[in-house]
Amino acid sequence: MVTLDTKQFDNWIDRLSEDKNIQQIKRLTEVISSDAEPEVGQTPKEVIWTKNKSKLYRYQPAIKKTNKVPILMIYALINKPYILDLYPGNSLIEHLTNKGHDVYLLDWGTPGYEDRNMKLDDYIVDYIPRAVSKVLKTSKAKDITLLGYCMGGTMTAIFTALYPQLPIRNLILMTSPIDFKDAGHYSNWLDKRYFQLDKLVDTLGNIPFELIDFGNKLLNPISNVVGPYISLADRVENEDFVLNWKLMQKWLNDGIPFPGESYRQWIRDFYQDNKLINDQLTVRGRKVELANIKANLLNISATRDNIALPQQIAPLNDKVSSKNKTLHIVETGHVSVVTGRKAINEIHPYIEKWITDNSK
Amino acid sequence: MTQTTSFDAFTMWKNVYEKTESTWRDAIQDTLGKESFAESLGQIQSQYLQYQGFVNKMTESYLKQANMPSRDEIANVASLVINVESKVDDLEDQMDVYKIDTSREIEQLRKGLNNLDKKLDKVIELLNKSIVAQNTPKVTDGPLTTTALNATSTKK
Repeated sequence: MVTLDTKQFDNWIDRLSEDKNIQQIKRLTEVISSDAEPEVGQTPKEVIWTKNKSKLYRYQPAIKKTNKVPILMIYALINKPYILDLYPGNSLIEHLTNKGHDVYLLDWGTPGYEDRNMKLDDYIVDYIPRAVSKVLKTSKAKDITLLGYCMGGTMTAIFTALYPQLPIRNLILMTSPIDFKDAGHYSNWLDKRYFQLDKLVDTLGNIPFELIDFGNKLLNPISNVVGPYISLADRVENEDFVLNWKLMQKWLNDGIPFPGESYRQWIRDFYQDNKLINDQLTVRGRKVELANIKANLLNISATRDNIALPQQIAPLNDKVSSKNKTLHIVETGHVSVVTGRKAINEIHPYIEKWITDNSK
Repeated sequence: MTQTTSFDAFTMWKNVYEKTESTWRDAIQDTLGKESFAESLGQIQSQYLQYQGFVNKMTESYLKQANMPSRDEIANVASLVINVESKVDDLEDQMDVYKIDTSREIEQLRKGLNNLDKKLDKVIELLNKSIVAQNTPKVTDGPLTTTALNATSTKK
């Protein structure tokens, strides 16, 4: 009879489960595969207007509004609305509403195939003016502050230039590209000779988010694809870090399709022909002249931003007619200008103070 | 004196990553910035779109034969709904303008009526005064006074 002594093996297994590396691997696997996603966009809100898939939200309506100038936020067409209201304690919207500002956000919604013909013109002329009107009516205010993030900021700047008669007191742009003369690698990849824009739009209708995301990740492939997982593995035992990591990943990987005609226009008129800064852009037949912008301007640029490069942002300040204009440069990246420790501690309070100072 | 260091896989991965990233970063960025890279991307894109176009055509053809609505047809129905919604939105906007105009007109009418009311009050007041003045005997100094008084007493 053969007897097998498994005591040593059992001991090894027991020791293994106590091993720091094994525990880290276990937690890492949980975070990547089975942990629930964090609940985003938690600041209470009500819908005050809808159009097609778009919704206009008013945040924390129950809180007393001490600042009389309402704020309307407009974000990029490929993002989801929660990016400006990421998580309690890590939300620009929550910060502003807690300080007594009346905050509204225009949610673009997720475009369907039937929206593939929507142009930037449609969003700028049919949606934003109505939203502004609804905000002014709801808040009973005489002036408005507009805040645009990324491409949403570019659209907001165009809108402000097209409607100088509207009571736009303040214009805040966060990492919003205006000059596309040097858009980094995009200038090379979107070269008219090689990039088949028309064929792409005609074949796909709406441009899938994955395609846009592929381009963004390709800007810095190793650090964008592998880097986040290395950071996670390194600090997986820190629950605060894990939460922030999950939030960042949700933001980055949870986009929506780009409406086809808007994409065609965005790539051709902006990246390929650089029309906006040169006063050559027309929106529904009307010429867009940035010099028509007279509102107080806060233009925020991030030094480590590789999507909207600092040189694409700064030239706006030389074009506008605003007497009060500020170019605020922060040492951070495209996403961390809105979320994360630096945003919470420095950028959100800076924006809040600027709005308060310019709303009296 | 001996020092024992336990093997830490995560630290090793991190070191490997950092060294690899720093070594390859510049080379990768150089490659990404080359025109030949953009050309290659364009070729990959072209092949992908050719394949996707073929799949789209095949799917559409199959759906047609199976008597099933294509994506375009469903999208057309959605567009019709969106158009109707758009018209409702326009109507709502016009109603808002109409409401504002109507309330402004009503307010103006109310003010006009108030003014008219005040003017009418004045007219009535003046008329009353005039009637009272007509019915009241004139009291003046001198012989007329006596005559007037006599007339009043005769009436009584």
